[in-house]
Amino acid sequence: MISRKRYATPFIVWIIAGTLIPLLSIAYYGFTARDGGFTFANITAMFQHDHMQALGLSLLLAFISTLVCLILAFPMAMILKDSKYGKQGFMIFVFILPMWMNFLLRTMAWQVLLERQGVINTLITMVGLPRQELMNTPGAIVLGMVYDFLPFMILPIYNTVSKIDNHLIEAAYDLGASRKKVYTSVILPLSVPGIVSGITMVFIPALTTFVISNMLGGGKINLIGNIIEQEFTVNSNWYLGSGLSLVMMLFIIVSMLFLRKFDKTGGESLI
Amino acid sequence: MNELIRLENITKSFDENVVLNGIDLTVGENEFVTLLGPSGCGKTTTLRIIGGFEQPDSGIVYFDGQDITTLPANQRNINTVFQNYALFPHMNVGENIAFGLRVSGKSDAYIKDKIKYALKLVNLKGYENRRIDQLSGGQQQRIAMARAIVNEPKVLLLDEPLGALDLKLRQEMQYELVRLKKELGITFIYVTHDQEEALTMSDKVVVMNEGYIQQEGTPEEIYDEPINAFVADFIGDSNILSGKMVDERVVEINGIQFPCIDGTEQGFPPKKRVDVVIRPEDIEIRPYGKGLFNGTIISKLFIGVHYEMLVQSEDGKIEWLLQNYDQHDVGAKIGMYVRPENIQIMHKPKSEAESAMEIDL
Amino acid sequence: MKRLGKIYILIIMLFLYLPILTLMVLSFNEAKSMAVFTRFSLHWYAELFQSKLMLGAIVNTFSIAILAALIATIVGTMAVLGIDAMKPRTENVLLAANNIPMLNADIVTGIALMLFFLMIGVPRGYCTILFSHATFCIPYVILSVRPRLNKNTDKLYEAALDLGASEKYAFRKIVLPELWPGISSGFLLSFTMSVDDFIITYFTRGAGINTISTLIYSEVKIGIRPSLFALSTIIFVVALVTLIIVNYKQNKADKMAA
Repeated sequence: MISRKRYATPFIVWIIAGTLIPLLSIAYYGFTARDGGFTFANITAMFQHDHMQALGLSLLLAFISTLVCLILAFPMAMILKDSKYGKQGFMIFVFILPMWMNFLLRTMAWQVLLERQGVINTLITMVGLPRQELMNTPGAIVLGMVYDFLPFMILPIYNTVSKIDNHLIEAAYDLGASRKKVYTSVILPLSVPGIVSGITMVFIPALTTFVISNMLGGGKINLIGNIIEQEFTVNSNWYLGSGLSLVMMLFIIVSMLFLRKFDKTGGESLI
Repeated sequence: MNELIRLENITKSFDENVVLNGIDLTVGENEFVTLLGPSGCGKTTTLRIIGGFEQPDSGIVYFDGQDITTLPANQRNINTVFQNYALFPHMNVGENIAFGLRVSGKSDAYIKDKIKYALKLVNLKGYENRRIDQLSGGQQQRIAMARAIVNEPKVLLLDEPLGALDLKLRQEMQYELVRLKKELGITFIYVTHDQEEALTMSDKVVVMNEGYIQQEGTPEEIYDEPINAFVADFIGDSNILSGKMVDERVVEINGIQFPCIDGTEQGFPPKKRVDVVIRPEDIEIRPYGKGLFNGTIISKLFIGVHYEMLVQSEDGKIEWLLQNYDQHDVGAKIGMYVRPENIQIMHKPKSEAESAMEIDL
Repeated sequence: MKRLGKIYILIIMLFLYLPILTLMVLSFNEAKSMAVFTRFSLHWYAELFQSKLMLGAIVNTFSIAILAALIATIVGTMAVLGIDAMKPRTENVLLAANNIPMLNADIVTGIALMLFFLMIGVPRGYCTILFSHATFCIPYVILSVRPRLNKNTDKLYEAALDLGASEKYAFRKIVLPELWPGISSGFLLSFTMSVDDFIITYFTRGAGINTISTLIYSEVKIGIRPSLFALSTIIFVVALVTLIIVNYKQNKADKMAA
């Protein structure tokens, strides 16, 4: 009774103007040739060697980063659940704080550390070892991704794990389950929603980034995000950029559908 | 008794679901009326229509002779004690109670007095500045009462107000409600699915099911003379059996003939098929062979004051529920007797709709 | 086990904070070196605050964040009230549409908005950034306000009407306070998302307008100057202080509830 349908009008207009029409315009440009005719060329351009290589590398690096984040985050979430720090909010605070820091600056920090004249190399040469080429490697990009996105994995997993009733765990032990069994058949299944939204929040930005690869890859390593970005900002070929974006969106949608199969709650732990 | 509220042929459906099927109901001034029924029977919808929170699809609501069908809730001289209380969580006790008075622009001094008076009335003196989440369930219930009654409504609507309380508190609050009602001298319309609450407090009980009023009457009438199997089953434990009139004032159940007090005059001529209700406490135990019929005790439970027993008839077709103060052993063969006035004869349901009501809830 | 856990926490914390701490230390370094600390100096801070470009970017960042959060909060809160009145099917369609900007990759959202502005011929600048930021903030407002509008809110609203309140009064005195925690956290979330955003701003801004993020990006591309370390230190300290205040207030509220 508080509600009136017409209150939603600005929102509906906004969704149409800000989300739906812009997405449709990607689709329009993606299927349009430079001369204005219909074409599949912008889509099939993904099969060009450079593009395939970039896409393959993006998928690989995003997968590795997500996996590393997951492996680091899950024990962290469990420790937070068991310790008193979690409840006081202090530890949560510790993981939220980096998220408030501009991620360009955070990525830059690694540039400072990994640079040829940077902190790590200075330390290495101080103990008499030769300089290492740390920057501009896929490893540096993975490191940057893990560093930037780790909090986005920890928080959703902690959110679901902390809500698991300790009685359930006690009940499992009471029924004779081993420690391993308790993890595999009680804790893990119950933390799936958090894991799924953590993976979503890490994998998609990692797959589509062009900033981290630009800053830590020195422009030498191209991810699919870099290719698309250059089509728009350098080559001004919106048609090709849109076509490639459509293919990338397809990958995002497929990976989300895949993840959704595991998470029946529909991403409630996102916030 | 003067009529205060009258519902005339109220119907209401939500989407395709018919919730009220033509309700006619009169509530007198200063009456305690209880709408009783299982969940989904339409009792809460009826209350919300009286309160002004729902509009009926058809029918008229009269209040003091005026048609108030379309009058919004905030203009009715009726207040509600909501299920789960609906106390405003961001206001303290005093502010909650003052809400209605502030809306109607009463002076601060008046409001202060009223809060004091109301808190005293519900036995929570000095609770003005407590926060709502500091109160127990029972205290919240009392504050919800206080908030409603300070506005001096002519009618208080209570929507399962005791539903969230534990058994002991619920029984205490029943006395409390009756006392309040006496002190205030206003009309209470009470909704519950608890037959005990309905029987102990009400002047009039209205039994509802599937959007129909099944029976209306004093608690005694409802209990002693249920009009059909649904009412009999809903009000207390009963033996509800299929029978047939075999003679004037004689009904046959499972081949045994019982003298009763209903005949052609009451609409039960010989050969008519009927439903029969016998309350478990009305079956008297006699020595074997000395009653109207015999059976074997197959189970026994001690439930406080009396024993509850299941007795199987000799042909094994019927299990009788008995309540008795005396103890008898399981396996014992006994005789049983029922006084004619304790046999309640009822009409069989006529239509499919009505037989649907029989479904055990 | 407890000990192992503490060590693990320590390692992760070092991983998260050492890079930031390095920047903070280097921001007070007199030399431009990225590795060797020569002498304490504040001149990188001075350089930062003398940069007109940076000051302009700071003003843009915060004014856009405040306006975008304000617009998103109003549109989003109204949307929650409106959607609530709709049939479940319409409701689901709208909520699904609402999820798109949240689940979509920022680069796609940015490109999509950029193409949209190009198509309708709006020159890119302050207003296009603002519009885009409000677009990606609205879903978060809806997500945080919607849970506050539930059966209980309906009941409280009805109770207020029952006690004689007009619809407006009941909304102001009862419904709004009930929604308020959701509204304020939606606003805060929007504000921080807007301040933090780079990718969408990058595609929807025009030449000559910068936010802190886009300015950092263009400066890093040319070559890192320690004045950016000074900026990092300031942002970190501001974030730290804000979070401590928020945390303190929350703890106080929790204690009062307990």
